[in-house]
Parts: sequence; structure tokens; C-alpha cells
Amino acid sequence: MFADAKRIRRNKTLDKIFRYLFLGMAVLSASFIVIIVLFIFLKGIAPFLPGYEYGQVDLISFLTGSVYRQDQATYGVGFIVINTLICSFLALLLSFPLSVLTALFIAKIAPKKLGAAMQSVIELLASVPSVVFGIFASGVITAIVRYLASMMGISTFGGSSLLAVIILLAIMIFPTLTSMSITAIKAVDPDLESASLALGATKTQTNFKVVLTAAKSGIFAGAILGLGRAFGEATAVSMVAGNKLFGPTIDLFDITRTLTSTILTGLKETTGLDYDIRFSVGLVLIAVIFVSNWILNQVKKRIGNQV
Amino acid sequence: MSRKFKDGILNGLTYISSIIGVLILGSIMVYLIVTGASSINWHLLSSDYYVETANAAVNEDYVYEAPGAYSGEGYYSKKWGVAFEDIVTAHKDEEIQVTYVDPNSPFNHMYSTVAGDDNAAISLTVGNTMQNIYYIDSATGEQVYLSQGSMESAENLVSVLDEAESIVSVNFQSLGGGIRGSIVSTLYLILISLLISLPIGIGAAIYLHEYAAKTKINSLIRQGIDTLTGVPSIIYGLMGVTVLFPVTQAFGATSTSILLGGLTLAIILLPTIISSTEEALIVVPQSLRDGSLSLGATKSQTIFKVVLPCAINGILTGVLLGIGRVIGESAALVYTTSTVINDNPTILSQGTSLALMIWSIMSGEQPNYELASAISLIILIIVFVINLVVKLIGKRLAKSFQ
Repeated sequence: MFADAKRIRRNKTLDKIFRYLFLGMAVLSASFIVIIVLFIFLKGIAPFLPGYEYGQVDLISFLTGSVYRQDQATYGVGFIVINTLICSFLALLLSFPLSVLTALFIAKIAPKKLGAAMQSVIELLASVPSVVFGIFASGVITAIVRYLASMMGISTFGGSSLLAVIILLAIMIFPTLTSMSITAIKAVDPDLESASLALGATKTQTNFKVVLTAAKSGIFAGAILGLGRAFGEATAVSMVAGNKLFGPTIDLFDITRTLTSTILTGLKETTGLDYDIRFSVGLVLIAVIFVSNWILNQVKKRIGNQV
Repeated sequence: MSRKFKDGILNGLTYISSIIGVLILGSIMVYLIVTGASSINWHLLSSDYYVETANAAVNEDYVYEAPGAYSGEGYYSKKWGVAFEDIVTAHKDEEIQVTYVDPNSPFNHMYSTVAGDDNAAISLTVGNTMQNIYYIDSATGEQVYLSQGSMESAENLVSVLDEAESIVSVNFQSLGGGIRGSIVSTLYLILISLLISLPIGIGAAIYLHEYAAKTKINSLIRQGIDTLTGVPSIIYGLMGVTVLFPVTQAFGATSTSILLGGLTLAIILLPTIISSTEEALIVVPQSLRDGSLSLGATKSQTIFKVVLPCAINGILTGVLLGIGRVIGESAALVYTTSTVINDNPTILSQGTSLALMIWSIMSGEQPNYELASAISLIILIIVFVINLVVKLIGKRLAKSFQ
């Protein structure tokens, strides 16, 4: 009897230890987001504080500046933020209709086997690493851009251009948008469709007017996710952006510079202002993603309420 | 316009956009195969990236018998027991490559004349390329210098060598352009990141699914983990070099290192591991837990002996997805492992993973598309296979408790 009681007590202690161990792991996992934001904030804000060892940078001229030159130690990210927004939104504009139509095809229109095959294509596309997209972009997309430019009599910087970045990003967010749209379309209540069909609408009318309308909240969520991916995409974009020194870039055939390409390219030394300022750019990137997510989620709430 | 016509157009649009999707994937594959497939061979996988030059003198004391016959490829010098052929390297240089060295050949018994090598023994090996040779001419008895240019071709080189009285010294290079170092680095990264993120991720998933009541704190924890998914990988890189670098310093790292990259990747993998483990936990029927608990097992015993074994497929999915992510990751590693390609990486040294090696050779002065595409193809094959296996596991998982 005594031995039993002892064993039970030991098991209970063990149970408690494991409970706290698991809790600790969950808290640790969740705390990384705080650590990321906190430390990048601390490191990114340092160059703007008085007493910064490589010479204090003016925060206002950093945020509003339209020139970013490492060689002259002039760092302004205002135009880079605008460039990033232009690239990402135009990519979304290009990719959105294609992916919604593809999602509709897979979920509703295609014969079952063709739909499954198409879904596999989307999944494969989603699993392609960004650096591979980068090679494709600098090998193929730039060639297409060069061809387009030469037809219009414009010269480009070897094809690296805003247009190349937009096409690349549109391709990269296509699988994200499509798979989110598929989920949203499949979640639509079949009763709605039956009702539409019973009222005499054709299958296609139902798909385009009823199903897409009912799924728009989910599709919009996909768009937000895709946009976040476009903002944060680094390696592939850096390969074709061209890193312009001033801006903003609105000419499709001119080179551009995004927040991520600024962080990634020209990295040589691991000390000094040029290195530290990249963390400030990273902080700006976090802010851009956060703010745009917040705004779009507000928009999404409004759209969702209208159904 | 008739309804039928309109419907046809709308349906046609969905077909067209799907075809565009297929075309994109197809053109990526075709481009990579056309550019890179011919570079994939055993040499690429097994050799170093950097070209190494060796200067070697033939051992004067070495007495050799004229080596035997040779029936392999290339032009064979019967006198010296060595065969050459003409090749074009990955860097588009024309070179004369060694295809065979007889064990008795004097080229197999040389010593290094590079300062600092202390005359270490060295031999010409298959795959080396010939740069220049000093030999004693049999007619004049004088030492002759044969530069790479005057070798002309493998055939010519063999005929010149057959005329020589003796070989004085040789300068040769390894071929380079291989990815062995990066493969090793990638394996290190996979190992380190999984070793750390697996226990933490599984533990967190267990807490979230088996213990967590619906309290505010728990939903905050869940939200924190979910937010990690949306963080761009380049931000992880910036975090890694600020937060985790001191951790690696404790292990003796003096610069950015593969260990630092692995730690950073471990955090990137956490949400993946957690969500795939949790998905598997959800599928495990509650009745199994109830049964175990009512038989007197404690909660932790139930978790370790009943729930986790049932969730093993989900954990495996997490591991596979994690491997895929590590292999494809590049932005987070630029800041944490550095972009210096390393032929002999250790855990505490710098080095590039396969994906980062692509970034490294593409962002140089002269991007090498052939090599980059070849590595990409290798990465894609691995990632696609992983995808396929994950899909199969998913199908089994869906069936397992029906």
C-alpha cells in the first residue's frame, strides 16, 4: 500500500513537471515574435539616437528621404517604401484575377481528375524556393522585359526593372492566393448554390455571382496573405530589382529598389552605419507589413459584413 | 448576347488562367533543365567549389618501371603512365584533364613545392587539369618550360611528354565548381534546426492541444505562434544575428556560423512543426485518451504512450516540411551563415547551404547560370519528392482513424 501511494505521488509530480515543461515550450515559441520585434526595434532605432557611435542619423530625413546611397552615407527610405508598395500592389493586381479564376476552375468547373492535377500544379508551384524563382526571373523574365522594351524602343538595365519585379512577385503569390481562394470557395454553403440554380440561374452564373460573392471574405484574406508575402520576399526580388539609388520608380522599365533588396544587397562589412541602418530598414519593413495588414483587415471586416 | 455564349466565355477564362498557371511551372522546369541538367553529374556532387592549384616536383630518387598498357579514354602516354583528354569546364575554359594515372607513374610520386607544405607527398589525380610542366628535353638535355598555351591539346601534350628525358615539376589544378561543401552545410543546417525545433515544437503543440483551456493567455500564445508564420524570412535573419549570435558565441563561434543559421532556422520551423503536430493530435480520437486515463494512466503517460504514437505521422510531416523549408531558405541565411562558399564547413565555420550558394554565385560579378540551375534542379527534385511523401502521409492520416 505504502509503495503504491509513493508511486502515485511520484507520478503526480512527474505529471506536473511535464505540464509546466510543455507550457514553457509553448510560451517560448510564442515569445519569439516579441523577441523579434523588440530586438529589431532596439537595433533599428539605435542610429537615430544621440551618441550613436558612427554619427547620429536624422530620423525624419531617413523616413522621408528619396536618396539611398551607401557610398555617400545618405540613407532615405521614403521612396523605397513607396516602391515596395507599388511593386506589391501591382503584383497583387496582376495575380488576383488569375488566381481567383484558377481557384474557381479547380473547385467548381474542372472535371474531378483535371482539378486534382491542377491542384498539384499549384502545390508544386508553392513549394518552389524563392531563390529558384530568382534564377527564373533573371534568366527568363528579364529576357521577356528586354524583348518588350526593345519593341517599344526603350533600353533597360539588362531587363532588371520594376516590371520584372512585378511579374516575379505575381508568380510568387499566385499559389498562395489560389489555395486560399480554393479553401474559401469550397467552404461556400451548397444550399446557396442550389437556391441559385433553382431560381433558374445557369451553373456558370451561379459560380460567378453566388459562389464568388459568398467566398469573397476568404478570398480577400488570401489577398492579404499574398500581399504580406510580396512585401517580405527578398532573395528573388533582389536578383531583378536593380537597386536604384533614388526614386520613387514609376516607370515600368526603370530599375527599382524595395525594402528587402535594400537589406540584402551590397552587404559587405558587419559593423558600421551601413550595417546597422539595414536593421532600421527591417524595422520599417515590419511597420509596413503591420500597418497594411491592419488597414486591409479593417477593409475585410467591411466587405465581410456586406454579405 | 445569348446566355450560353456568355457562360462559355466566363468558363473559358477559368481554363485560360489555369493554363497560365501550368505554363509558369512548365517554363520554370524547362528553363532549369535546359540550362542546368547537363551540369549535373557525380563530379558536381562530390568535388570542391574552389579551384586549387598545386605545384609539385617529381621525386628524383624515384625509379620507376615503364607502366603497363592502358585501354581507357583519352590520349595515353605510355612512357609516363598518364592519360589526358580535352575538356571545356563549367566556367567555359578549355583545359587538358587527367583521365588516368598509373600507380607506378612518376606523377604519382611527387612532393609539393609550395612554401609551407614541407615537401609533403602529392600526386596527380584523375580530374586535375594541367597548367604547366618543366621537363628535360631528351635531344638537348636542357630544361624546357611548357606553358598551358603551348600544350595545345591532350594529343600534343602526350607526344611532347613521350619525347622528354625526365619530368622536373608540374603545376596542376583541381577542377572546382562542385557543391560538396554546400551539401554538407545543408545537412548540418537540417540537423541543427530540427534537433532544436522538434522538441520545442512538439511540446508546444501538446500544450496547445492537450492542456490549454480557453483562457486569454492561451489564445495570446496561439496568436503569437500564428504571427510567426507571417514574418518574412529576412527579418528572421536580422533577428538571428542580433539575438542568437551571443548564444553561438557561448559555443565558441567568432563570426556568423552554420550553428547560427541552424538556430535561426529552428525558429522559422517552429510554426510548421507545431501546426502539423497539432493537426495530427486533433485526429487522435478522444476515446483513446479517455480509455488510457480511466485505466489509471496519468496524463503525461497517456500523452507519451497513447497520443504521441498515434500522432507520429503528423510529426513526420512536420519534419519533412521542415527539411524542405531549410533546403529552400536563403534570405534568413544571408545574415546568419554568410554568403561565403565553404568547401570544408564545420558547425562553427561560415558556409552556404545549397540555396544560399545559388544566391552567392548569382550575385557575383559573373553569374553562373549553368551551375545555379543545376543546383536549383537538385533542390527542386528534393522538394518535390518531399511534397509527394507529405501528400501520401496526409492520405494515410485521414484514413487512420476511420
